Amino acid sequence: MKTKRFSLLTLLLVLLMQFSFAQQKTISGTVTDDSGPLPGVNVIIKGTINGTQTDFDGKYTIQANVGDILVFSFVGMTTHQATVGASDIIDVTLETGNVLDEVVVVGFGTQSKRRVTDNIASVSAKEIGEIPTPSIQSTLSGKASGVQITQINGKVEGGIKVRVRGVSTITSSQEPLYVVDGVPLINSDESINNSPINPLVTINPNDIESIDILKDASSAAIYGARGSNGVIIITTKQGRQGKTKVSINSSYGWSEAANTREWLNAAEYVELFTESFANVGGSPDGDFDFFAGGDGWRRGEIDTDWQDLALVNGSTSDYGVSVSGGSEKTRFFISGAYHNTEGIVRGNELDRYSFRANIDHNISEKLRIGSNTNFSKTIIDRISNDNAFATPLQAIAQVPISRPFNDDGTPNNDTTLYYNFLTEEFNGDFQTNIWRITTNLFGEYSLTQDLKFRTDFGYDFNNQVAERFSGSLTESASVGGFGTANAVETERYNLNSYFSYNKLFGDNNYLDVVLGMGFEETRRKLQFLQAQGFPSDDLQTLDSASDIVQGGSNRTTFNFLSYFARATYSIQDKYLLKASLRYDGSSRFGKDNRYGWFPAASAGWIISEEDFLVDSETFSLLKIRGSWGITGNAGIGDFASRSLFQGSPYNQRAALAPTQLGDPSLKWETTTQYDFGIDFGFLNNRITGELDYYVKNTDDILLNEPLPGTSGFPNITRNVGKMENKGLEFVLKTKNIITDHFTWNTSFNIANNKNEVTDLPGGDIILGRSLVRKGETASSFYMIEYAGVNVNNGDAEYYLNTVLPDGSFDRAKTNNPNLAQRVIVGSPYPDLIGGLTNNLTYKDFDLSFTFQGQWGADLYNNGGRFQSANADFYDNQSRDQLNRWQQPGDITNVPQARFGESNGTQHSSRYLQNADFIRLRNMSLGYSLPNSVTEKINVGRIRLYFTGFNLLTFTDYDGYDPESTDDSTAAANNIQVGETFYSAPPARTYTLGLNIDF
Amino acid sequence: MKFIYKNSNLLLVLTLVTIIISCDNKLDLEPAQSLDPGVATGSPENIRSILVGMYDEAAHGSAEGPTLEENIYGGSINITSELLANSGDLQWNGTFLEPREFNLKQITTTNTFVRNIWLNGYEVNNQANIVLANLDKFDDADEKNKIEGEAKFLRALTYFDLTRFYGKQYEAGQTNSQLAAPIVLDAVLGPADVTEPLRNTVEEVYNQVINDLTSAISLLPNSNDIFADKYAAQALLARVYLQQGDYQNALNAANEVIQNSGHSLATNFGGAFNNNEDSSEDIFAWQITSQDGENDMNTFWGGSDFGGRSGNPDVEINDPFLTVYNDNNDDRRAFFYDTSRGRATTKWQSEFANIPFIRLAEMYLIRAESNQRLSSSVGAAPLEDINVLRNRANASAFGAITLNDILNERKRELSFEGHAIHDARRLKENIGTLSYDDNTLVLPIPQRETDANPNLEQNPGYN
Repeated sequence: MKTKRFSLLTLLLVLLMQFSFAQQKTISGTVTDDSGPLPGVNVIIKGTINGTQTDFDGKYTIQANVGDILVFSFVGMTTHQATVGASDIIDVTLETGNVLDEVVVVGFGTQSKRRVTDNIASVSAKEIGEIPTPSIQSTLSGKASGVQITQINGKVEGGIKVRVRGVSTITSSQEPLYVVDGVPLINSDESINNSPINPLVTINPNDIESIDILKDASSAAIYGARGSNGVIIITTKQGRQGKTKVSINSSYGWSEAANTREWLNAAEYVELFTESFANVGGSPDGDFDFFAGGDGWRRGEIDTDWQDLALVNGSTSDYGVSVSGGSEKTRFFISGAYHNTEGIVRGNELDRYSFRANIDHNISEKLRIGSNTNFSKTIIDRISNDNAFATPLQAIAQVPISRPFNDDGTPNNDTTLYYNFLTEEFNGDFQTNIWRITTNLFGEYSLTQDLKFRTDFGYDFNNQVAERFSGSLTESASVGGFGTANAVETERYNLNSYFSYNKLFGDNNYLDVVLGMGFEETRRKLQFLQAQGFPSDDLQTLDSASDIVQGGSNRTTFNFLSYFARATYSIQDKYLLKASLRYDGSSRFGKDNRYGWFPAASAGWIISEEDFLVDSETFSLLKIRGSWGITGNAGIGDFASRSLFQGSPYNQRAALAPTQLGDPSLKWETTTQYDFGIDFGFLNNRITGELDYYVKNTDDILLNEPLPGTSGFPNITRNVGKMENKGLEFVLKTKNIITDHFTWNTSFNIANNKNEVTDLPGGDIILGRSLVRKGETASSFYMIEYAGVNVNNGDAEYYLNTVLPDGSFDRAKTNNPNLAQRVIVGSPYPDLIGGLTNNLTYKDFDLSFTFQGQWGADLYNNGGRFQSANADFYDNQSRDQLNRWQQPGDITNVPQARFGESNGTQHSSRYLQNADFIRLRNMSLGYSLPNSVTEKINVGRIRLYFTGFNLLTFTDYDGYDPESTDDSTAAANNIQVGETFYSAPPARTYTLGLNIDF
Repeated sequence: MKFIYKNSNLLLVLTLVTIIISCDNKLDLEPAQSLDPGVATGSPENIRSILVGMYDEAAHGSAEGPTLEENIYGGSINITSELLANSGDLQWNGTFLEPREFNLKQITTTNTFVRNIWLNGYEVNNQANIVLANLDKFDDADEKNKIEGEAKFLRALTYFDLTRFYGKQYEAGQTNSQLAAPIVLDAVLGPADVTEPLRNTVEEVYNQVINDLTSAISLLPNSNDIFADKYAAQALLARVYLQQGDYQNALNAANEVIQNSGHSLATNFGGAFNNNEDSSEDIFAWQITSQDGENDMNTFWGGSDFGGRSGNPDVEINDPFLTVYNDNNDDRRAFFYDTSRGRATTKWQSEFANIPFIRLAEMYLIRAESNQRLSSSVGAAPLEDINVLRNRANASAFGAITLNDILNERKRELSFEGHAIHDARRLKENIGTLSYDDNTLVLPIPQRETDANPNLEQNPGYN
């Protein structure tokens, strides 16, 4: 295969070319800061990859030539350079540096934060460590401005939506690109039952060193066609030269549902439904007898709390060990970990075993190779999606006078209104195993002091095997048990090769150039089988089934070919310029429009370095920057531009049917983004912050444009739309108190985003209650408007909202929902999102906590039509339905209970609520044993900690959770957003843990 | 050597650059599970496959992807008809809101059944148009005729249902300018072929149906395995004429089928239902196997122990219905079973049985009714035809017969098979307090359709 041969050839050539040998001597010394020796300081020979680190006493030794420049760098301190001269000893004192000396990962390289002209949010391991959740995205909530992270529900493997600066597409993928150590990750959910599995649940968060989020076009443009939704670059921990460090972490936590709702108890149920039947001239007594299996309900003999059966107590455990260290030539980081989460929804559990080995080695002074490899195995006990009758949350609809179990201990399915979900666990099994390998192999060769060549070969392998069995007591009773076996294997190969050139001109003019190409191919294969008719519930594999009912296999491939170039030039460390260009092609687009150009440029000016400000006490930092760039979105189906026929058998005869109409001129979605920002610092950087204003214009949005059904096709994918996102982001970091024993830092971010569809040829797109219309926010809620209850007769009423001749809406009310016009009643996207993190230390104690908030979003409870339906159907009702209208004169929002008459139970804004909230997302309290104690037992550090997750939520939303949404449509399309069904709330977790570093 | 050494870096750079540039042709990929339209319509085998796919589309639905099964003739269209006509004989126990809307006659334009019947009808229509546009690929005249006949049969079937559901009833002897559904006869294979048609009238759609069926009758062979044959087309035509009130033509068609098709009534009533293979009485049946297709008749009408949904059954038969049987020994009166919840019809008990669509018994009823109305005895006297059916069901024979008896016999024989609303409207019967002509008995044009095609006028009573 051509790709493999390239990479092998390249590496071979690089290996063969070693021509320089020179005289070296040993240089040594001590590095200190104003309080004493500094361990862990990087000492590197400039222009090479030779380096070392200072040990626990701040001492180092290194081989260098006379004339080499040694670069001393350490996080938070000003980098120092010293030229090797006659002396063999070089001692250095480092000074506390500017926040601008941090290093930021920018894609195919790193950059000093001082010279960054783009908008990149960086989060370090310290900020995300110790949070008891199996998914890394959850740890970022509230930590990066403009990045909205939503956990869809409380299931342990639950899908997570990450949106960077709003949504800039409608049907294409809205997920950012995840890159781990240079490998773009496979981010596809392979769940077999619509409820999504977060593909990144296979990654161990404790392996992560830092996360950099590329938010504007100029930073993301280097990833060209995949950069429109932002890029999240994850860097894992690497080893450093020095004494080997061993780190052990173990923690255990308890969890419960963050919120429960109040449902009617048996007495209330009987009262409400008796009234509901009476109002239509009937009696439910016969049905009550059926549900209760007798007339015991009259004496209150049964009162089942079904919610209590569905939402249970859970737990989390984490055990991990990591070893890292290295010598002058080789550095390594190895870790192994086990994680377990028992979910707060019954029957849901996750186990993850992970192992990582990051190694890099200097073959010679000029040549370095390395590999970052991660294996993980994840085993998940799964449950049904929110729209299935077998999902545990459906239990809230069960009638409280039905018993959950029969006398013999089997789940009661004979007198329940709905299928009893307990049967799934009792008589079924649903497990999914995910085996994942992500590895990166790289070689880096320094051609000259300034020019390097690097090639990266990345491989991501994701293999999921899902098996589900439903026995003879479940919904599959009539077929004698039903089983599914499904295996999906996805592989991604990626090869990037590039030159990078860094040159210092004069004193402080830097030039950085990157030039290279990349090729990436993804292949997916799927096989599945379904069978029924099992001789016994104990035989659960398909070998035992009598009748194979469905099976299939398929495969698909897609790839990208790109060429990229970037140049960064900083003049006197004050004036900054950057430009990049990428040329991307993909198999996903028609022959006519296969490639696209993605340019970007940005500039900055560090005003605080100018003579008139450089000595200012007030303005320790003032930098303005601006960027512009074009990125693309290729997140659509693999063959969307083609008209297709597929096989569709009839009665075991082969047949064909047209399945898709394709537009051969289909092309990229392009997003053009402008960003203007100010970085500022006051009082010697005691207060620092950023303010950004951005405008994102997306053109040629790929849409499944609805077609007249008379054509035989419901829709066709076309580039038809335009969308705009505008917003403001503000970040403020303050060091409130810094004393010897007590420190207190605060970090605050808030962002506003306004989304508008600016062009939609072909008119409105309406799916369910979601509307895409020109001039409005995408996926606006579009439904009839509830007007409350008629005081005189208890009818549910709606506003007519027909348009009057003068253009205003007719606000007269009607009790016939068919006469009411649909209007826009809300938006699923928040206007404001923000986070507030506080870090305090007092002697050996440390405390940090993060609040997260969202304002302006609405949530539609699609299940409300059954759950809060004023006793329209037998479903158990939420307690607020007891406020139903009963007699003329009653003022209430709950219509009269009329069984079977749909009084107020249509889709309407009755079930739409504002979902503003503030959450105490995570809190961590820790105690580190004092050095005096740890030194005696030869341990580096011992730390005890307590962490809480989702501890408090402040909201007026009266459903389960203002963020949890329906997971049966979540994966299906990006237009129906902001609806919840029988969706589980998230878990509130309390954890105790112990860290030991040797 | 020195030259190489001095210029080593340059050579290295050049070599590396050359290696990395040549990958362009890797971007041409073909899908592994699909075919191009050119290939799909390029050979007679493929055209035949598309034709077979039409049956699958009509019964199960597949155009939007193998996971979206609309099961139109597999169940949705039946329950729409039966619940629309319900005013007490049936009880809806199910949780789905769409059939409930039909039962309450409060249909919203966003009702998904309403949408699916429409979309599916036009998917079958387009497939028929594609087949009919490619008949020139066939060399064998017999094969070509058969394919053409089958395509026209299925196309006629969908237009018949489109006008019966989305348009008002056909009034015999009038011009019938009330709106039905657009007639689209050009194949759509690419986006340039898509149009925004206006609704045609009920008269125009019935003419289209009759033309297609008449043509199909002349093209189809006498028997065609599980697929439509000449007598299936003729039987369907009889049904169409009956709906129009054109009794003479209905009579002739039904009579042809009874006399020449070779079909015979099942020996007992139960034998006509719950069969895995077509019975002697099936003039046309939709094929269901455990691996292909869902029997949604069973889903909605069957008890949950037999594969039905949680309503157990979703559609329950109430006591008032039983008053239509005038003989307690009638097998049909006993063709029910009890679940823990209520009474279910045995017609749709088996989960993987074929779905009889046109039975010979219906032809007897059409012939009898037509003869009665025309005071004729073509083929057999009405009394004889009715007694044949009663005899088969062990019900006592009639001595004399009125039109009313025949109409009641229709209910005894064909109940729950999807005829209810169509019979009610052609016979101008009231449904509860609603007249046969009421706006709420007609399905609205689906919201998604009026949104996508502004040329479509919505039905009265809906917005």
